[in-house]
Amino acid sequence: METSKDILTELLDVAPFLGKAGMSRVPYSIPKGYFADFTDILLRRIRIEMEVISEPQAGQEIADLSPLLAGLQKNNPYKLPEGYFESRQINIPSSGKNPAVPIFERGQAKEVPIISIESQPRRVFNFSRVLKYAVAACLVAMLGTTLFNISTHIESDPILGLAVVSDQDMANYLDSDDIHWTPGLSSATESTTDIASVDLNDNDIRDLLSNVPDDELEQYSALLPEEKGTVN
Amino acid sequence: MAEQRTDTELLTLFREPATKEKAFTEIVKKYQERLYWHVRRMLVDHEDSNDVLQNVFIRVWNALSGFREDAQLYTWLYRIATNECLTFIEQQKKKASISLDEMDSGLSNKIRADKDFDANKLEWKLQLAIQQLPEKQRVVFMLRYYNEMPYEEMSKVLDTSTGALKASYHHAAKKIEDFILNH
Repeated sequence: METSKDILTELLDVAPFLGKAGMSRVPYSIPKGYFADFTDILLRRIRIEMEVISEPQAGQEIADLSPLLAGLQKNNPYKLPEGYFESRQINIPSSGKNPAVPIFERGQAKEVPIISIESQPRRVFNFSRVLKYAVAACLVAMLGTTLFNISTHIESDPILGLAVVSDQDMANYLDSDDIHWTPGLSSATESTTDIASVDLNDNDIRDLLSNVPDDELEQYSALLPEEKGTVN
Repeated sequence: MAEQRTDTELLTLFREPATKEKAFTEIVKKYQERLYWHVRRMLVDHEDSNDVLQNVFIRVWNALSGFREDAQLYTWLYRIATNECLTFIEQQKKKASISLDEMDSGLSNKIRADKDFDANKLEWKLQLAIQQLPEKQRVVFMLRYYNEMPYEEMSKVLDTSTGALKASYHHAAKKIEDFILNH
């Protein structure tokens, strides 16, 4: 067994200054009477903890607290359908090894079958699998949205839509706006720069041109083909 | 004053329900100061040390009936006290979300904050030097330097080979001496 002298000799070999200094005194101070009171404080705490551990029975506790509540404790006001537990069955989702077994036969207890956890299909959360499905769903959604937008755009484009409007419908529409056009007078192959004629009489033309100086009218009429060039 | 009973006698008395509390009181009185200082040197703060020391003795109360006397009672007590200290330090560290180094500097600050602290006194420098050591080395140094615990006993307290403990103590002593001489 090592002695204090052995320990000091060892220290002098390893750390001579520390060995010679003899500093084994600890400079910390403690409250007065700490050790004298420590045992009493400790035992008090142990007794309190023991009381918590050895708590009274729940029945006795409520009887002490409230005899009224203790008297009501066993009275259950709810009712069960007759034979409820007798008719209960466990539906086991595995193969035909363990068919549905009643927990209790009428009036006779029956051993409840033990179902091995290993025999049940395990539901393991597979993150990569879920991620795969999520990505596929996103792609389908994006593709669907794109196709829907394209088809909607085609149907709603007014220029492209004109191709499927019949000549008669077009004439009806123009008539409603006082623009008269007779189907068949211009073929579908005519240039789109051709415009429908507007039904104006001579008085309307005179009103329209009344503010235009004669010089400008003469210049304009000089540009027109001869047979249509007269403006009154 | 009545002669102090041996540990074996105290353990026998503790196992008898009629004398259990009396035996426990004697055990506490016999070891409280030694264990307190062991804990205090580890934790620095008195209130922390008091809490931990109470926890140590409550553990002793609960487990002493099952103590098999393979080791000496005081070795077992030091083992419980050391574990409680390390657990406390670990909890403090987690609570404050700080690293071990920060915890050590926190302990050094506590030393400096002591009302009696005197930076020129060697015993205070020694306390600061001890806090610079890694946790395990600190325990080894304290058990050997202050408690003069033989390596054999220490190996039971810390579950470490005597060779490793000896190396650890020598490293610790050199580091502490360097710290004191250079600060």
